[in-house]
Amino acid sequence: MDEIRIGTAVSTSTGLAKGELHVADMPDGAPINIPVAVLRGKGDGPTLWMEACVHGDEYCGAFIIHEVLRTVAADDLNGTVIALPVLNLTGFQRNQRMSPFEAFGYGDMNRCFPGKPDGSLTEQMAHVVYGHMKKHADYLIDIHTALTVDVRWALYANADGEVGDKGAGIARAFGYKSTLPAPMDILGGSALMTAAKDGIPSFIIEAGGIGPAFDRETVTDAAERLRNVMRHLGMLAGDVTDYGPQYDFSTFAWINATRGGLFQPAVACGQRIEEGTVLGRYFDVFGDVVEEPRSPHAGIVLAINCGPLMPTGDILMHLGLNPRDI
Amino acid sequence: MQEIKIGSAVSNAAGIAKGHLKVGDLPDGRPVEIPVLIGRGAADGPTLWLHGCVHGNEYCGTFIIQEMFRNLDASELTGTVVALPILNLTAFRRKQRMSPFEGYGGGDLNRCFPGKPDGSLTEQMAYAIYSELKQHADYLIDFHTAMTTDVRWALYANAEGAVGDKAEGIARAFGFNSTLPAPMDILGGSAMMTAARDGIPGYIVEAGGKGPAFDPELVLDGSERLRNVMRHLDMLPGDVTDHGPLTYFSNFAWVMSTRGGLFQRRVKCGDRIEAGTVLGQYYDLYGEPDGEAKSPHAGVVLAIHPGPVMANGETLIHIGLDPREV
Repeated sequence: MDEIRIGTAVSTSTGLAKGELHVADMPDGAPINIPVAVLRGKGDGPTLWMEACVHGDEYCGAFIIHEVLRTVAADDLNGTVIALPVLNLTGFQRNQRMSPFEAFGYGDMNRCFPGKPDGSLTEQMAHVVYGHMKKHADYLIDIHTALTVDVRWALYANADGEVGDKGAGIARAFGYKSTLPAPMDILGGSALMTAAKDGIPSFIIEAGGIGPAFDRETVTDAAERLRNVMRHLGMLAGDVTDYGPQYDFSTFAWINATRGGLFQPAVACGQRIEEGTVLGRYFDVFGDVVEEPRSPHAGIVLAINCGPLMPTGDILMHLGLNPRDI
Repeated sequence: MQEIKIGSAVSNAAGIAKGHLKVGDLPDGRPVEIPVLIGRGAADGPTLWLHGCVHGNEYCGTFIIQEMFRNLDASELTGTVVALPILNLTAFRRKQRMSPFEGYGGGDLNRCFPGKPDGSLTEQMAYAIYSELKQHADYLIDFHTAMTTDVRWALYANAEGAVGDKAEGIARAFGFNSTLPAPMDILGGSAMMTAARDGIPGYIVEAGGKGPAFDPELVLDGSERLRNVMRHLDMLPGDVTDHGPLTYFSNFAWVMSTRGGLFQRRVKCGDRIEAGTVLGQYYDLYGEPDGEAKSPHAGVVLAIHPGPVMANGETLIHIGLDPREV
């Protein structure tokens, strides 16, 4: 069996190998080492790369990956799962999206791939991670978390030919109803698009909420859906669950708040809305309603700001456009 | 009718007056002005002082106060309600407990009362607020928010004589089951204890969670309980709802985490626990179970850390001790 070595995680036989990958240094010179788990199956098969916390505070993904690692036995597995559950460790530690050690922007790691060996901190971290991903991954699944408990949507890189087709297959097997076949000209610098351009079929999951919106059921459900993806890929035995028809979208729209204030949403994730649907209410500091923002587009709510406060420019809503049953 | 003037909020007739109270300056010289509402009834009666966001990110109280005011008909009101829904405005904006402009600690506003005219920023803010509170308030209700959606407890200053008795009456009318008759030697510098020593019955509500744990249902419930307190004080007409017996405590215990890690709680607010009850499970970065947190005391869970990540010294659990039904 070929050796797989990622940092100190060294896999030469069936089973779970754990270790750490040095991605950068802290200002005192101490290393930033991120966890790596390599789960090597008994049978031959593809290598599925799973990663989470590319945005440090999006914890659901780390827990989903952990649940998969705890519930998949190497003896039952064909191929290899490489899991990096906490990519942006210093952001993770600090309960924030980006690293607290990132000085001059470029701190959104999911815009920094494939990275630069001599770029900003986050670009250098992305470079180290991506070098291993490109070398090993046959498929990429990148797990994110959004604003509220009820977030459930996904996207795959809709590349031409087999790369896009395999991405669509993973999306079907994972089975979140709201799924975007992502046009190849969006999300530049994401792991998803960078990998797809290098021929690796890629899928992003957006599951659950950050902070106290963390939800155990989301974790358990998504881990089962990931095992279903592994059945679909022939990595685990058993029948593939059919999650039924999905909505796809032409693309998505980020709606930013054009005012600030106390805010309460009036729509929920998964809800179909029209242009002009009231999205929530802004209140002044005395509690009087000062505005009801309306949707500029029709579509399906992918994420909605839960409030109760909104500064100008915050993400009010993330909307899937032109939904159609497929 | 005598004029009541708090900052630019001036009330000299039945109805709702709004304005701002200057409590400090920003580093660019602009004033920090916090919102003030005065609800003046047609008939004479006591003055109930309400405030929220003494800790800037504890938003539930702000919304409870605002909900009550939106439904307040001054022609039905006896007496006066003075409300300052956002005491620590610069922290409120920054979604954090203490003001970002506080330089040298001492930033917990609820440990700074009665304040100092020449102290730290937060001490000066407390001084500006408390001078008005002491002049006007017959009763004080201070609204806080804890960690998770299911937080529901309260405490009153258990002073000798009428001050303690009146506060207990408010506690019964608000009716959160878990209630601490707070010994007068704890929570020094809180608005509640400071007011009680000045003869003003003081009550604190702890309701709901921060960030995405904000819950609109809790706001509606809290504002109805607040109206019940006003019926109890004969400030609003109508029968007083009897919330039944309450669970009283001798005191509370803050338990801090003595280790860090990924964390999942196993208990809910309101649960009765014993010394040794498992409070939650720690996991390492690979998702392996890595130790349990156990309770050092018996009691009732007032607040529990929502996880999913924990640093040393965070509040693991807040326990009400020696529960007894009263």
